[in-house]
Amino acid sequence: MRHYEIVFMVHPDQSDQVSGMIERYSATITEGGGKVHRLEDWGRRHLAYPINKIHKAHYVLMNVECGQDILQELKTTFRYNDAVLRSVVFGCKEAVTEESYIAKADKSERSERRERSAPYTEKSAPVETQDKDINSDAADSSAVISAEPEENKFQENDEKIKPIPDESAVEVADISPEEESK
Amino acid sequence: MARFNRRRKFCRFSAEGADVIDYKDLEMLKQYISETGKITPSRITGTKAKYQRQLSNAIKRARYLALLPYTDSHE
Repeated sequence: MRHYEIVFMVHPDQSDQVSGMIERYSATITEGGGKVHRLEDWGRRHLAYPINKIHKAHYVLMNVECGQDILQELKTTFRYNDAVLRSVVFGCKEAVTEESYIAKADKSERSERRERSAPYTEKSAPVETQDKDINSDAADSSAVISAEPEENKFQENDEKIKPIPDESAVEVADISPEEESK
Repeated sequence: MARFNRRRKFCRFSAEGADVIDYKDLEMLKQYISETGKITPSRITGTKAKYQRQLSNAIKRARYLALLPYTDSHE
């Protein structure tokens, strides 16, 4: 029984099969007397370079303790499964159970996005402009244009709009500069 | 004289007492590849030989898994 780290990449069109594949593989490992120490589904990630003209792949990481015959079995299943784009097995010295860097990075990214999208309707002006930058450049520029000639009006609007979600605010900003130009 | 002005290079990994360099730590690995995707030589970064070997292996693993590019002229 040795420790291995397995990573395999699944074709993005077959990524709904991934949960089934993970179940099957972990079942074969546990049935063979092995153990799954860490199992991470990184989801669909953008590839650094295209493989077989595919730009995305679904990654799965497994840290496993198993015998050689089971490992061989897994390797052959990866090889003959057309959905698996690539797979690697690294030997490890010990069982790794803590969260990997990639999973951590994904999580922090997601939480950042939530933080960015959440405070859009809140008052503070600098935060608002940042959010607009992210949402769309066009909406941002139009909003700036409308804000510059008649600041007072814009502020009044802003106060009224506060409880309403961001889309309507953007629409209002869109309409006003057009009318001015006409 | 220029030698005295230059900032002293130091090996980050031996300073931190790193155990193994993980191929999954992409943010760290990206600091050790050039814009064209080449591995930066240790004579420039000051990485100790032990860690430079680990680093190059980690980068090569990450490249195979398409986590890092081989070059900037893919596609």
